Amino acid sequence: MKANAQMEQQSEAIVKFDNVVKRFGNFTAVEKADFEIGRGEFLAIMGSSGCGKTTTLRMLAGLEDPTEGAIYLDGEKVNGKATWDRDTPMVWQSLALFPFLTVQENVEFALKMRGVGKEERRQRAEKWLEKMQITEFANRNINQLSGGQKQRVALARALVTEPKILLLDEPLSALDAHLKVRMQAVLSNLQKDLGITFVYVTHSMSEAFSMADRVVIMSRGQIEQIGTPEEIYREPYNRFVAEFLGSANIFDGVVQGPAGADGWQVAYEGGETILPKSERPDARQGQKVTFIVSAENMQLSLPDSGQPGIEASVAGEEFIGGTAMVFLETAGGQELKVQKSHDELSVLNLHPGSKVVVHWESGSCHVLPGENK
Amino acid sequence: MTKRPTLFSLILSMPLLLWQLLFFLFPLLFLVAISFWTVRNFQMTPDLNFGNWERVLSRGVFWDAYFRTMVLATTAAVVTSIIAFPASYAISFKMSEKAKRWMIFILIIPFFTSYLVRVYSLQVFLSDAGIINAAFAYIGLGPFPMLNNAFGIIVGMVTLTLPLVVLLQTFSLNFVNRDLIEAAHNLRCGRLRTVFAVIVPSAKVGLVIAALFAFILSFGDFVSPLYLGGGNPPTLSIMITDFTKSGQQWPRAAVVAIMMIITLLTAAFAAVTYAYKERGK
Repeated sequence: MKANAQMEQQSEAIVKFDNVVKRFGNFTAVEKADFEIGRGEFLAIMGSSGCGKTTTLRMLAGLEDPTEGAIYLDGEKVNGKATWDRDTPMVWQSLALFPFLTVQENVEFALKMRGVGKEERRQRAEKWLEKMQITEFANRNINQLSGGQKQRVALARALVTEPKILLLDEPLSALDAHLKVRMQAVLSNLQKDLGITFVYVTHSMSEAFSMADRVVIMSRGQIEQIGTPEEIYREPYNRFVAEFLGSANIFDGVVQGPAGADGWQVAYEGGETILPKSERPDARQGQKVTFIVSAENMQLSLPDSGQPGIEASVAGEEFIGGTAMVFLETAGGQELKVQKSHDELSVLNLHPGSKVVVHWESGSCHVLPGENK
Repeated sequence: MTKRPTLFSLILSMPLLLWQLLFFLFPLLFLVAISFWTVRNFQMTPDLNFGNWERVLSRGVFWDAYFRTMVLATTAAVVTSIIAFPASYAISFKMSEKAKRWMIFILIIPFFTSYLVRVYSLQVFLSDAGIINAAFAYIGLGPFPMLNNAFGIIVGMVTLTLPLVVLLQTFSLNFVNRDLIEAAHNLRCGRLRTVFAVIVPSAKVGLVIAALFAFILSFGDFVSPLYLGGGNPPTLSIMITDFTKSGQQWPRAAVVAIMMIITLLTAAFAAVTYAYKERGK
């Protein structure tokens, strides 16, 4: 059902990046970006700073022009088309509200630029002030608003022309944690209500994964993976994505041969395990495979239990709500993470330096398709 | 939260305080005192004589000069601001950081040469037999009188204040948030319209202060009205020198000077209030 909806969205893409490259002098900011954004989709572009996510958004807004490739907006090639001739309003990280205008004048700005009459301007602005619940601040000066209120003004100002697409460049990064979560809900609901496309640039995984239909992960100008949050979380494409998400253990192994009807025997530094055949149907003996086991699928036993697995010692522990992340170090120096409930951990009675044995069900291994192709 | 000045900050501000007391406040008070003195047989004697004020303020000549000076200084401030803005805009928005530094250096160069020398060289330029009119004559036009009239005075005042105004405008434009300009473009505001709808209002404080400086310098200028304007009819500063030269009328000169100071204070206060006025409640 969900897959169908996506197919439909993609066949009716509102944005298409066709092998887009952006260089600034010798520096390549974006390298061969090739993807589509569906109509009504909430797409997040995520990556650490300098990965090219903001440049990608700015090219879509018409604030930068691609060096190579083409960008299509609503079927039309928009390379070289100035931002004022596009219909791609953006919400800035700094919000970029006009401090010399009142709240209402800020919201009316885009309408005024389009020559909309005074009365209609007022009505349309008031509608958006109401929608964003900031009617009472209409005549205020921008500098007198709180962070959350400014955010709402910025959204109203961008949406007042009823665009088909809204671009957001880390709009929540200046807010405190509590307000951030509230504004995430505002944004999610707004996008659903309006049914328009949101393209949301962020470095925060929690923002991207909690709001977006699909997430684009970028690093050093390259797109590393595109998929739904669940797909990315369950099946990271390569080592970069797995490391970026931060909750998986990565192993480099070598296929030893078949293990039963539907598995491969794989050796890695510190032990052997069985990979489900479905993860790599075409594997050969001697082939390298990089696979991950997520922290919550790892099991811990005490050394005297006789359980086979990797021996490791406890390096530390970090509380994550109802669970804890245990950091381990193997004899070979590899760092491992295991996420367990406090109850399970209290039975083991671990403290820094404790010896443990780490093991997992063979079904919880996932091969990174982007490595050792 | 109110801040109380610490002893250390008081000590640090002492030099400024002393200077202002010695060379600004005391002379100013002295000026006010002089304006009530009496002159007899070319000798000033301390007095409380309101006659000077009455004489000066009741004469049409004073008010003619007053409004003439006002119009000249206002025109110079407006003309300078308009001529300066495109240059300041180009320096601030279109030049590399290195080019900007060079431009600022070049703008300071005019301050190296004496204003009087520059005005003399302008005489050569503007006179009926000067270079500009010679050029006009070559194509069969003119001569246009450009010296000993208001045009000459404005040329002098603009030349005097232009570098300073460009500097002040450039500094204020450098502080305009670049995101605001992109946001305006993004909201369908074209390049030229953005200049008036976003850049000018954003840099308003600096632009108004720059114009204010041009007004203040022009209002008190003595050199251009004398050497390029011919000194007749007089501006207020010429009137002051006339009073002091003819019959030692220092008290009347003081009255004119105080009127000028009051005018400048009012203009400065109005300009600053306007510059910092914010929209909305």
